Amino acid sequence: MVILGQHLFNGLLIGCAYALIAIGLTMIFGVMNIANFAHGEFYMLGGFVAYYLVSLVGFNYFLALPTAVVLVVVLAIILQHSIFRRLRDAPLMTTTLVTIGLSIFLEHSALMLWGPQPQSIPNPFPTKPLSFFGIYTTPLYIFSMAVTAALIVVGHLLIRRTRMGKAMRATFQNKEASALVGIRIDRIYMYTFAFGAALAAAAGAVLGGFIPVEPTAGGIITLKAFIVVILGGLGSFVGAIVGGILLGIAEALGAGYMPAGWKDAIGFFAVILVLLLRPEGLFKRA
Amino acid sequence: MRAQTLFRIVVAHFAISWFALAGAQEPVRIGVVQPLTGPVAYDGNIYVNTVKMIVDGMNAKGGVLGRPIQLVIEDGACNPAQSVNAAEKLVVRDKVVALLGAFCSTSTAATMEVAKKYKVPLITGISTAAQLTEQGNPYFFRAVATTPMLGDAFGGALPTAVKAKRFAFLVLNDDWGRSMVASYPKAIQKAGGEIVATEYFLQSELQFLSHITKIKASNPDAIILAANTQQAVGLTKQIRELGITVPLIGEGSWTSDSYLKLAGPTSEGVYGLVEYLYTIKSPINDAFVKDFRAKLNENPSKFAGAAHNAINIVVDAIKRAGTTDPEKIREALKTTDYNGIVGNIKFDDKNQAYGQTVYLGLVKNGVPEVVTTAQIAKP
Repeated sequence: MVILGQHLFNGLLIGCAYALIAIGLTMIFGVMNIANFAHGEFYMLGGFVAYYLVSLVGFNYFLALPTAVVLVVVLAIILQHSIFRRLRDAPLMTTTLVTIGLSIFLEHSALMLWGPQPQSIPNPFPTKPLSFFGIYTTPLYIFSMAVTAALIVVGHLLIRRTRMGKAMRATFQNKEASALVGIRIDRIYMYTFAFGAALAAAAGAVLGGFIPVEPTAGGIITLKAFIVVILGGLGSFVGAIVGGILLGIAEALGAGYMPAGWKDAIGFFAVILVLLLRPEGLFKRA
Repeated sequence: MRAQTLFRIVVAHFAISWFALAGAQEPVRIGVVQPLTGPVAYDGNIYVNTVKMIVDGMNAKGGVLGRPIQLVIEDGACNPAQSVNAAEKLVVRDKVVALLGAFCSTSTAATMEVAKKYKVPLITGISTAAQLTEQGNPYFFRAVATTPMLGDAFGGALPTAVKAKRFAFLVLNDDWGRSMVASYPKAIQKAGGEIVATEYFLQSELQFLSHITKIKASNPDAIILAANTQQAVGLTKQIRELGITVPLIGEGSWTSDSYLKLAGPTSEGVYGLVEYLYTIKSPINDAFVKDFRAKLNENPSKFAGAAHNAINIVVDAIKRAGTTDPEKIREALKTTDYNGIVGNIKFDDKNQAYGQTVYLGLVKNGVPEVVTTAQIAKP
């Protein structure tokens, strides 16, 4: 029972991070019609920038995390402005190829700038584990779970309750009609891309305390985020959240109770099942 | 008239430099294929820098056979195709007399074929996949113990050395991890220990919480692991974070400087099953560590140790062969009887090294100390 509880806790911890990363991916896909294969690189950059701010520049840990997110957002805005703005009406295939190229470019730039060494972000939390009814965790795990969960809520409020969120949803439903009623599509694209990058970078910065950050970490993250997005339904915000947490828990239980090597396969089985039985995803487009 | 004068000067210049070149000693070229980019680039660079440092030292003392040694270094990127191309280039264009390479076992397996095709000896100090020396390739030499050899030498000593009875395995799901699980348990059980869990993780994983939880449920006294630096750091931290305090015994880069730096205080009390430790006490190792620290500003890792063995064994063979003919060097390699930083190394009929010492290190205050040693038996 305690072991099951530990697996569920581990799953929830990772699932929240999956959800946070997938939200950005699904929004970028829904609003901009771009399948962003460079999304995991924002996660990787968030972790690396936070690491450099803390250990080399000497930033306070709690100051470094938001600063890293801001710096990655600045990069995302530059990329959006210089590349994706020009491809606004390009077919999905073209933008997909561009994001694949971008992902390789970012990964190798990180490799050249920082070298292949994996790094852990130094953090002020005590490393002594805490135990609740036999389920072990650390202050850092609780902190990262709290931050990811809080950001998911903030993201949700942003989309649901603000003018900008309303404009994003309008653009999502009908680009031309939105433009007709005076929504500045370019600006909405910029917000969406920056928003997605910010969430992924935040996940990278927070998780970097216990999952080593390395230049090639983005690839597997992109893959996981795509699984979540397909599970939850392309463009569905709620689907990304539920899909992320489900994938995290399914992986934890799968690795815990099934033979080795199945852990990464579980997500793909789920995707195949969903595509066969409910191709629009578990949650329809919001 | 002017153009003609100029032409004469140019011709004279080339003639002079040609004679000057012919008069100087033609260097002995040794080829190195190591990953300078890719997933193990960090360790590959350590290997290359070590070889360069040692060759500089040899050249300062007159080189080999009275000729300077010239290294020709190529990037194999831990990729079989790229490693083969690099080796082909080294043999065909640079005319190297011996090859050092190629780190990852898959790349070494591919490079071995090039060595055989052009009849140039290839020596590895790193690739441990057991089947490499089982292929009967006469041009391939391995100056490091395989995982099964390490298991045979050390498995029996583990229950006493770490004072444990119930052992759990948490290893990488590949050749290396699987061959650990195939070799260590026999020796451990013979010495009175038992195996309570065996769990594999994938090369792509950085978060091992569910595997660790599963291991925890089996309540072991010690955990044996196989992982490279990056995964070793994540494993150590996450095992401690889930409240497991039993000794960890790792094969791979568990006591290297980069591991100790990244794992920080969580590395305290971790055991490493390694082919080399910089804290070995011997005059030859003391000199090596001193030189290494002065030139490369860190403590030599096992990859530096592997480089030290490989280049010294090759140069020793060239010296004994008395010629740079690759076939003669190969024959000299067969009769190697080299005393280096890890003791005596000889090759058996399959060109597999034996006789060298292997080490069980324990991290105390950030320094890996030798707890016990074992000798690799003749297979």
